[in-house]
Amino acid sequence: MGSQQSVNRRFGFFILITLGLVGLLGIRLVDFQVVQAAEIREKSMERRSVTQTLTALRGEIRDNSGQILARTVFRYDVNVAPKNVAPVIRYSEDGTRTEIPVEQITTELAKLLGIPAAEIAPKLVGDSQYANLAKRVDAETYSAIRELRVPWVYFDRFADRLYPNGAVAGNLIGFVGADGEPLAGLERQYNTCLAGVDGQETYERSAEGVRIPASSVVTQPIQDGGNLKLTIDANLQFFAQQVLADSVNDLSADWASAIVMEAKTGKIIVAAEAPSVDPNDPSASKAQDRGSRIFQSAFEPGSVMKALTVAMVLDTGTADENDKVKAPYSLKLDFPGGSVQDSFGHATYYLTLGGVLRYSSNTATVQFGRQIPKEVRYEYLKKFGFGKQSALRFEGESSGILHPVDEWDKMTNFTTLFGQGISVTGIQMASAYQAIANKGVKLDPVLVEGCLHEDGKVTMQPKQSSVRVLSEAKAKNTLELMEKVVEFGGVGRNAAIPGYRVGGKTGTAQIQEGSGYGRRFAISFYGVAPIEDPQYIVGVTIFRPVGETNSMKTTPVFKAIMQQVLKHYRVPPSTTKSRDIPSGAFGEVEKRN
Amino acid sequence: MAVFMVSPNEAKRLRPKLSAGLIFVIGMIVVYLAQLGLNMVLTQDAYHLAELKSQKRDLNTQVQIIQEEVDSLASPQNLADAANRLGMVANPASVLLDLQKDKVYGQPKPADPSNAPLASANLVANSALGTTSDFSETTVASLETVSVETPENPAGEVVLTVIPASPTR
Repeated sequence: MGSQQSVNRRFGFFILITLGLVGLLGIRLVDFQVVQAAEIREKSMERRSVTQTLTALRGEIRDNSGQILARTVFRYDVNVAPKNVAPVIRYSEDGTRTEIPVEQITTELAKLLGIPAAEIAPKLVGDSQYANLAKRVDAETYSAIRELRVPWVYFDRFADRLYPNGAVAGNLIGFVGADGEPLAGLERQYNTCLAGVDGQETYERSAEGVRIPASSVVTQPIQDGGNLKLTIDANLQFFAQQVLADSVNDLSADWASAIVMEAKTGKIIVAAEAPSVDPNDPSASKAQDRGSRIFQSAFEPGSVMKALTVAMVLDTGTADENDKVKAPYSLKLDFPGGSVQDSFGHATYYLTLGGVLRYSSNTATVQFGRQIPKEVRYEYLKKFGFGKQSALRFEGESSGILHPVDEWDKMTNFTTLFGQGISVTGIQMASAYQAIANKGVKLDPVLVEGCLHEDGKVTMQPKQSSVRVLSEAKAKNTLELMEKVVEFGGVGRNAAIPGYRVGGKTGTAQIQEGSGYGRRFAISFYGVAPIEDPQYIVGVTIFRPVGETNSMKTTPVFKAIMQQVLKHYRVPPSTTKSRDIPSGAFGEVEKRN
Repeated sequence: MAVFMVSPNEAKRLRPKLSAGLIFVIGMIVVYLAQLGLNMVLTQDAYHLAELKSQKRDLNTQVQIIQEEVDSLASPQNLADAANRLGMVANPASVLLDLQKDKVYGQPKPADPSNAPLASANLVANSALGTTSDFSETTVASLETVSVETPENPAGEVVLTVIPASPTR
């Protein structure tokens, strides 16, 4: 049995060694699978997995009919890897193999990129993996370059902003910087609506770079930005900007602005400016022209304020449409050295409130207005919306200057009646006229209708508050008196629109320069149509035109814009006639022609 | 553990059956082949997916190119320019027809080019204007020549045989 024992021993020895090896493997296994597991898994993931940012698209900005004012597009940086630059092999349709020399590729690229070949050639030399040929090329160029199938050309894609209508509403929309950060206007103010939330996903890929199926995990879901809907009508906005630009060129003015507002809703249909900014290329405009002056620039309004003074006189019951005051060319005030003059020399008139507006008489305005205590007038001015920002809170919006009534000096007490010693923005003045046109109720202006999200939800809808400034009857009466400006006023009659009853007020305001007033003016015309059922307010201001000492040049601008608005919105011409109200130089009723 | 010595007969009886071995080996081969096939299908699908994704990207690029063209053509600057080139003049005098009341509002007046409310030159900048309408009075005139010859139009009215589409450049 000795051989049996020896076999048993050898077999036992073999088993022992096998067990030992298995044990060793086991230990290694535990080491890999348990002890170092996390570290190894991480290393392997690092080698295979790719984390990718899913870029959320910034939302669109649309006008009131859905026309797109701003959208997100993709742009491409074109890069090369100089290290890999080599002739390109192309196969023709019949399978012939051609080797295209680098020089020819360079020429082809140069042609597509619109840069000289001599500029490209040096970038193709070197040992690096990266050289940039062109930045921000559009999809068409990108596509054409891809067609060339050059293996050493590659692209970096990124989202960019496109404003298809250029400077149309550019002052309102604002713009974004090269890094996609909103820098101005509604782009910035409504960034929380427009900006999306970038997503992130991780996936594994094979050695050839192909994504391994079912390996992707979205670690952060993508959330595209919402679309911002404005009350602006892009076509009318273009029209108004075109008219204003023409006028600014013609008059060598600093700038001009025009607002169109819906009387019954407070919606801003047009907020046009010249010069304007093309958000595609903001650097082409001067820094001061890149914002919106309608919201950001305050100026002394001048005589357009008289319509509001007349409204106050009527609403407080201080006088009615038949009452007259003696209106000399120059009026001494109740303090030493104090006097006001009219803008043109005339014999002593006896003016009604209609006459005040028609002749734009400062002396008559003061005589009517000073009968109202200044505290009451101050309250009216506040209710009309002066001295504070509008509800829109536009980026950098000015609140204008309305000094507290106890700070009014003797002169300010009178000058505020005809628009001096107070400064206002275009939006404030348009809103004040909106109150008159809307039966005495001032509505918060609206510029943004809301933010439309992918899931159909609408957020950021404006909460509009309203305040009654005038009684309905007195607001109507004020409109009828404003109509006399357009019927009989020397300047105002140029604002008449055939077929429609129009009311308005001219303004020629001096502009402070240093401690006094300069020789150039801010000329305005604010008007309403149709008077029998007011639909739209149009306010035009031209700032510092050369050689204009009255507001004559604003009337064609007002007329063109108002006429276009009435036509655009199919407002039927008036069927009624104005009422006979005294507005002559001696308080008489004048015959209409 | 113990090791037993057995007789050759017993050893023969204890030897594993060939059929069992064959089944085992064939089974293994089948499993491996199935796995291989599955892998191939998956890999093929991965390549197919990658290809479809690249196609989708190309199509998206095409959509963007066309969208930008449409944007540019639809911009008021392009439309105003095109209208000007065709000699169109904006007419501020609005005339409205009320079909229900059978009434005409407003005085119809021909447009007066010397008194147009809009400047003929485009004054509102647009650096995104890449594609513009290519029709002008001459291109439209060439369409008119074709149509005027049409005999069933004795009144001499201009009927365009084709809508002047927007050839782009």
